[in-house]
Amino acid sequence: MTRALGWLAVLGLVVGIAAGFGYAPREAIQGNVQRIMYLHVPAVLTAYLAFGLVLAGSIGYLATRRPGWDRLAAAAGELGVLFTGLTIVSGSIWGKPTWGTWWTWDARLTSTAVLFMVYVGYLLLRSLIEDPDARARYAAVVGILGAVNIPIVHFSVKWWRALHQPSTILGPERSPIDPAIGLALFVNWVAFTLLFAYFLSRRMEIARLEEQT
Amino acid sequence: MTYARRAWIILWKDLLIERRAKEHANALLFFCLLLLFLFQFALGPDRERLAAAVPGLLWLGFILAGLLGLGRSFLGERDNDCWEGLRLTPGDKSAIYLGKLAGNCVLMTAVEIILVILFGVFYNVDLWTPAAPLALVLALGTIGLAAVGTLFAAMTTQVRARELLFPVLLLPVQVPVLLATVSATQALLLGQPLADVAHWLKLLAGADLVYVTIGLLTFEFVLEG
Amino acid sequence: MPSNWGYVFAAYGIAAVALLTYWRHLARRTRALAARRAAKPRAA
Repeated sequence: MTRALGWLAVLGLVVGIAAGFGYAPREAIQGNVQRIMYLHVPAVLTAYLAFGLVLAGSIGYLATRRPGWDRLAAAAGELGVLFTGLTIVSGSIWGKPTWGTWWTWDARLTSTAVLFMVYVGYLLLRSLIEDPDARARYAAVVGILGAVNIPIVHFSVKWWRALHQPSTILGPERSPIDPAIGLALFVNWVAFTLLFAYFLSRRMEIARLEEQT
Repeated sequence: MTYARRAWIILWKDLLIERRAKEHANALLFFCLLLLFLFQFALGPDRERLAAAVPGLLWLGFILAGLLGLGRSFLGERDNDCWEGLRLTPGDKSAIYLGKLAGNCVLMTAVEIILVILFGVFYNVDLWTPAAPLALVLALGTIGLAAVGTLFAAMTTQVRARELLFPVLLLPVQVPVLLATVSATQALLLGQPLADVAHWLKLLAGADLVYVTIGLLTFEFVLEG
Repeated sequence: MPSNWGYVFAAYGIAAVALLTYWRHLARRTRALAARRAAKPRAA
């Protein structure tokens, strides 16, 4: 099952790259650099999926005390950090030729960076506790708090930006969506989700076997 | 014994210990003084640059003091083998959280009052005119900081590398509180009316509600084991 | 607007390296686990 998922993910990624580079048109304003979006946006969507699963796993564990929920949270947390990191790096690389700078404190990047730090802390906490039950409980609390905090972070950063940058920079996300671009984006998003599912499945299996050993 | 009474006992115990030992208060007071000098030296002699940075520095000071003070919330219980005592407390454990939270709010408020006075004196900033709205922002920010800080302090007390893990966990979660309080403080110090910062106050109030609720609901899970 | 293909390849390249590294990390962990389980008598 996991193996099938893996191959499906590979297929999806191949199709996605073809869509992003071959099928999708060259964007009018930014040129070919805009193609990074087919990596950047699916990455952040996958990260949000991951953190949603961390929340689910956290609540699930506290409610039922079944280790499977904690395994879900642990695996999803790891993947969330991975994909958030990809989001930030790809966003930064996209920003350099587009905005002229590697980093800017715009709302999206800042929120994503904060998200990254919250969940790196989550993984750090997990790595420092040996007792599986305590680890699961503490991680669950942090997982719940971190997830619930996401909208709060979003609004605070957005309003903070409005203070400091009344003139809106035309961010990459602002281009009107050409249907071809939209389709390429969708295909890549599906591919990323498949890849995520594959990694999640393998990572959870590892956790399950480790507990038994 | 009622819920409220249990919470009150925790608060009273901590205040009493503090009053007798005075270790926290003295050290934190001195720390605040040090921060003042630190900020001044870091920003240089330019008066205006310092004045412009005051809202951020003020909250930076609270947070740094908070990291020190809050992180130690449960150290007394841990060092004196009282952790079991907490665990065996009958009834709803969240009463302990509430008591600890109240104690931390008292501590943080004391630190803030001192810092505000020191800022006013040493940096020659007028913090008296906007005192009332500023106090509101301070109160809301304090609750947010203490709510999560108390919860994480309980968690990290038993963990290796506690001194590192506590700030690493707390600070990212507190970003919204920091952004809101600094923005609101800045606006208030510039003489803007309270109505202008209403959205920040609502954000803070909402965040505080969320944090305290989660603290109350999850504290028993932290206390186990 | 210049094509900036360098940036595009850099971004995709880094992503590919990161994902491949993680996949190999999972593979390594799985192998190590299998070795450990083979060495111990299996718990029922």
